[in-house]
Amino acid sequence: MTERIVVLELARLEAAHLTDLIEQFATLLDSGVGDDPAMARLVPDAYRDDAEATAEFRRLTEDDLLQRRRDDVRDVLATLQVDGASLRIADIEDDTATAAMTVPLDESQSAAWLRTLAALRLVLASRLEITDEGDHDETDPRFGVYDWIGYRLEGLLQALDD
Amino acid sequence: MTLPLEDTRVDISARHDPPWETVVWNDPVNLMSYVTHVFREYFGFSAERAHERMLAVHHHGHAVVAEGAREQMELHVQAMHDYGLWATVRKGSR
Repeated sequence: MTERIVVLELARLEAAHLTDLIEQFATLLDSGVGDDPAMARLVPDAYRDDAEATAEFRRLTEDDLLQRRRDDVRDVLATLQVDGASLRIADIEDDTATAAMTVPLDESQSAAWLRTLAALRLVLASRLEITDEGDHDETDPRFGVYDWIGYRLEGLLQALDD
Repeated sequence: MTLPLEDTRVDISARHDPPWETVVWNDPVNLMSYVTHVFREYFGFSAERAHERMLAVHHHGHAVVAEGAREQMELHVQAMHDYGLWATVRKGSR
């Protein structure tokens, strides 16, 4: 039996930032959907012209979808830990910030990573009010974060397809 | 002439309904490579078919990725939402 393993390589500072971002996402997930458009994007309407069927679908699936996100987040955060502890941005010394750490992922972990990176982009895009692929503001550093998550997602997809 | 009624049972209780459809919609966020990956992984499409359906979503704004019973389409749509894709169920037109 062979289980596909992908090995990611991240700088420690990058891993700390990713941990921070995913923990914020976890907090958002726990706050529920409410009237937050970013959360609404994660549980979109299943019918375009049938409010009743949409509401019924939502009633049956929303909790499961959000719970799956939480499970993914927990799994991804676990893979980013070093010696059983999460990396904190403030604790990273300058001389170790760029030091590489390797993150081996089995099949289910890499699936959790893919879904979580894709969800983070959806949430960031909502906050950045991206409505068109061309939307980009060089002066807003949050776009840099958005691009970086996309770069990591693309890299993981390539590694999985090899 | 004898009708073979013993071994034939024709169901006339329902007329044939067109199948339901799972539709995936274009969005400005999900990477093309990710959408292709999801189609391959979840629907078991070949690389070519997944790529073709992804491009259909991208260029036409949406594309049908599955047809069948309504309940099945709802399962597909939930799975697409799980991946972060924007998908809906609709009644087929044929």
